[in-house]
Parts: sequence; structure tokens; C-alpha cells
Amino acid sequence: MAKMNRSISSSAPVRLAVAVALALPASAQQSLETNYRTTGAAVTAAFEPQRAVIQLSSAVIYDGRKEIAYGIVITADGHILTKASEVEGVGQIDVRVDKESFKDAKVVMTDPRWDVALLKIDATDLTPIVWAPDSKLPRGTWVVANGVTSRTNRRVLVGIISADAREIPPEGGAVLGVTLKESKKGLSVEEVSKDSGAEKAGMKKGDILTAIAGKPVKEIAALGKIVGEMKAGTDVKVTLLRDGKKMELDVKLSARGDLFRETSRNDQMSGDFSNRRSGFPRVIQHDIFGAGSRTMGGPVLELEGRAVGMNIARANRAETFAIPVEELRELAEGMIKQAGK
Amino acid sequence: MKKLSLHFFIASACLIAVAEAFPINSKKAPESPGDIKAIQSALLAAIPRAEAATVNIDLGEGSGSGVIVSAEGLVMTAAHVSTGVGKDVTVDMPDGTKLKAETLGLDAETDAALLQITGKLPEGKAFPFVEINRADDTKLGDWVFSLGHSGGFDKERGAVSRIGRLVRVANTTIQTDGALIGGDSGGPLFDMEGRLIGIHSRVGAVIGQNMHVPVKVFTDNWDRMLKSEFIGEGPFAEKPKKGKGYLGIATKPAEGGIEVTKVGKKSPAEEAGIKEGDLLRTLNGEKLDSREKLQSILAELAAGDKLAFEITRDGKDEPVNLKLGAR
Repeated sequence: MAKMNRSISSSAPVRLAVAVALALPASAQQSLETNYRTTGAAVTAAFEPQRAVIQLSSAVIYDGRKEIAYGIVITADGHILTKASEVEGVGQIDVRVDKESFKDAKVVMTDPRWDVALLKIDATDLTPIVWAPDSKLPRGTWVVANGVTSRTNRRVLVGIISADAREIPPEGGAVLGVTLKESKKGLSVEEVSKDSGAEKAGMKKGDILTAIAGKPVKEIAALGKIVGEMKAGTDVKVTLLRDGKKMELDVKLSARGDLFRETSRNDQMSGDFSNRRSGFPRVIQHDIFGAGSRTMGGPVLELEGRAVGMNIARANRAETFAIPVEELRELAEGMIKQAGK
Repeated sequence: MKKLSLHFFIASACLIAVAEAFPINSKKAPESPGDIKAIQSALLAAIPRAEAATVNIDLGEGSGSGVIVSAEGLVMTAAHVSTGVGKDVTVDMPDGTKLKAETLGLDAETDAALLQITGKLPEGKAFPFVEINRADDTKLGDWVFSLGHSGGFDKERGAVSRIGRLVRVANTTIQTDGALIGGDSGGPLFDMEGRLIGIHSRVGAVIGQNMHVPVKVFTDNWDRMLKSEFIGEGPFAEKPKKGKGYLGIATKPAEGGIEVTKVGKKSPAEEAGIKEGDLLRTLNGEKLDSREKLQSILAELAAGDKLAFEITRDGKDEPVNLKLGAR
């Protein structure tokens, strides 16, 4: 039963990377059976009323046969909220609600600021989620979210509110996602970072960037200053020369930390965390494990079975963020209204 | 009517006397919404006090957590957080107040350590602290909760609270199935009454696998740790070797002692204010009649040990106190 364990202070250089034998006898009496652990079936069985809500009013989002996220049913006729960056670029999005499968969901709209997508499936008579009046739950309050799923059955995982609601600023500030070189004509694009806003907007190597947000720029430092004062997720107008022709593109700024990740020791021990886990105006935080980034997008329920938020980012092995119901509800209603126009 | 209320009083008094153990712990799993709510009520009642006493320990080049266990500011933490005896560190209180602290003793084999906050709260207020469960009556399957400054101090977020159960129990390690991460080291593990039962030590490869030092390890070594003893040989802290401490001066023989000819940049000597030209007369009560004498005293001391000099500068005698640094 010798295992490698890791000491857990927050910075590598201080801590001896201790490898210690776990000096515990492996006798059955000394170890709690999986069934009775916090994530075990015997414990989650006590959360059947909340599970019934997850069964009917949460969605499982698929790319082919692969589960990529969960979602929240918000209208009887098939509007579903999910985490935008997990469904982005998926050719055909399939959705399962309760026991029914719905092919080829439409992405009606996305909100980059909150990383939320509104999907529409061809359905009637779904059971929309019931919103909690607010997300003001003290730490220690039980919360329930999607656990393992099968074709017919949703299971749940449970945890507690862990921390105070707060803003999560973008990791490392906002960037375009290009490497630039100063030249006589302007700033020439040397490289476009993968998955960056610049790449998605269609910026290419060899483009000459001449202005940003309508302001002419000739130096990298000047550009950095303008971008640095903006928030990740916002759109900025970029003026370019391509093959001598002037053109304008709307580029969505990325968070530096999401684009150029320096894997910290905490990240190494966290396993599968969300690609986008920063730059949220406000989140609530809980300790439900989930299986990593694919478990985001579903509802977070309180004991009354009402949604207090939507899982939006698995930050690390001990911290998960959710969009609070106040903001989520406003966002959802706004998106549906706009979609109806 | 009177009789009835008296009976009620007696009954409730008895209840209080026997309501020691958290009732849900006697069940293998919560069986009803009522059981679930009972766990939540216990958490809501216990977390505020637990959080007020959970501090961040700033080591300069990293951070860990700790928990205050006395009104005078005694803190329990992990040995791999304090890393040594007599070290100066900074403690962040939950409201952001920074206070000076000094590490006391530690047990390098089990990962237990104490430290004392030396700074004062505004208006000399008593420190918020948690009760230690000295009964050592926790058992497999008990519901527990963890606090800690995961990933470092964040005032807006506060200490992160997590729930779990005791999934393995042994003499010097208990294991829970909550989730911990870097920065939680040294933080507190509580029973459902909010009494301290362990200190976070290390995590396994799987999320629901966290090792804690049970409070019994602390209480067994309490007096020795209070006396700043370095117990055991590792692996959680490395004992400073004698004769390897760093002072940072060069000297030459002089009348009545030895004279400082050079002071190393950012050395413990410079930080204590020792200057070129100072005459060092005594160290820890012994006369410095030669450079060899200084070396022989230092050969018996290690990083973190205290040095008390009597010096003469510009014709005036004065004391200089410092701690030997690590090379």
C-alpha cells in the first residue's frame, strides 16, 4: 500500500516534494467503503429529491458519443444553457434530457463575457429549471450537481458552498493572441496563437496591424497599453493591412492566462480543469468534485431543488465556480428575448 | 404547568449532557432529508468560528495555512509549512491584517508544528481560536470539514470550506475524502461540532484522498514543541546542521575583541545592523578573544539559533541580537 503522496503548500521551491509511504494498514475495517464516501451511492441516495430535478431539468451535451458538458433546461420548448467554450467548434451538438435524445441542437447565441451558450432543441413539454430567489447561501450550505450519467439515468454529486461570491479577474490580463514585430509599415504579425480571439477573427501571419480600437499604433508597447486596459472577452476593432489592402476585424480579447498557461504545481495535481477558468464578473464557489472540465454547464441546486447557479469553471481540484442565479437568470432572459426578435 | 416546564428543563439538560457525538455519525449514511439538514445546520453553526481562526502563513517564497488554538495566538500547522524552529514568518488574518510570527517546535516525522503569533491585534484584542478535540474519539465514517487558504491568501474569497468523511484512520495519519490543494497545507480539519481533529498534510493522486495529522500527534508532543524542540529526523522538515549557519562577516584580531572588516550584502549580520569597524567583544556570554573563538562558538550552532553580541561602536557599548541564517 505504498503510495506517492504530495505535500501541499502553495509554492514549489519552499516545499520539499515529499514522497511518503502511506503508513496505513489496508484492513477492511480501517477503510470506509466507496459506497459510503461523500461521493458514494449510499450518501447521494439521500439526495433523491434533488436528483429528480437533475433528471428532468438538466441536459447532457454530446459531441458524437462523447459527453462534453451539461446544460440547464430553461424553457419547455427546448432552450438550454451550457458552457460556451466546451461546445465551440463542435460539428453536431446532440443533447439528452431525461431519457430522450435530441439530435443537432442549434447554437442560438453565445455570451463570451460569461462563457454561456444558448442552445435550442426541437422539443415540447420539457420541465424547465426552477430558479432559487437568490444565491446568497452561507458557506456550508449543501449544493447538488450532475454526476455520472447513463442513457436513462442521471446521478448526482454533492458538496457545499465553499467561499464568498466574488469577481474572478482574467488571469494575466487581456491579449489579442498575436506575436508582433515593429516594422516601418506598422506592426507585422509574426504568429497567431492557437485558440486565440485573433485566430478566430481570421488574423493571419503577415498582416500589418495599423490601429486598434480606432487608435493608430506603431509600437508594441503602445498596443499593449491599450489592450491591457481592456477586459478579456470584450471585442476590439483591429485595423489591418493585408496584401496592401486595408481591412477591419473584430477580435475578441483572450485572457493571457487562458492562452499561455504556465502549468503550476497546483495545476499538475488538479487533473482536468477548465480551459477558461477566469474572467467572470461574479461567481459562487463550491467543492463538488465532478470529473473535470466536462462536468461544467449544469445546474447547481440547493436542498429545495432550485437552481442557485450554473457550473462554469472547474478551477482546480478543490475549487469549482458557478454563475450566480441572479446574473444567470438575467442573462438567460436577455438571450431568449433577443433570439425571439 | 410549572411541573411540566421543570420536567422539560431536566430532560433538555440531560440531552445536552449526552449530546456529545454528532448523531448522524452513528448512521452509515444519511437516511433522510432531515439527516442532510442536520449536517448542514452543524456546518453553518461551526464554520464562522473556524474561519475566523484559520490563518494564512506567508513564508516569503510560498505559503501554507494554520489554525489559532489559543487566545494568545498559538497556531497549529504542518512541519513542512514551518520548515524549521525559530523562523520569522508572517501570518495573514482573515480580514487581511498581517502579523509577525515565529515558528516553535515541530515533529519532522509526522508533519506537526506549532508557531506563535508575536504581533498584536488592534487594541490588544484576544485572538479568535478553535477548540481542540482532545478526546480523540473520532472514528471511521465521521463527517468532517476542512478549511484552508487554497493556492494562497485571497481576502475576497476567504478560507475555502470543504466537506468530507473520515475514510481511513491510523495512529499518525487520518485520511478524508474532501478535496485539498497547494496552500491548504497546515490548515485545519474539524469534526461536526467545530472542534479541531487534524491538520492538513498531503494529498494523494486521487482527488478524494487527503492525509491529515491527527491532533493526538500534537498533544503527545505538545510540551516539547512549545519549547521549540526539533523532533525527529524527517522527512517533513530538515534539521539544520551545526556549523552550517550563516552570519556574513569577516573579522580581524583587535584589542578587547575582534573587529569587523567586512559585512556581507543582505546577510543576517547586515540586517541586524552590524557595521564595518564594530568591535565584537562577547557572543552569547563568552569573550571573543580571537577569531578562532568566534568560529568555535558558531561551529556548535545552526541556522535559526540566536546570537547575542556585545559590541563597541564609536566608543559606545551596545547589544546586537540576531538569528543565524541558512546558507
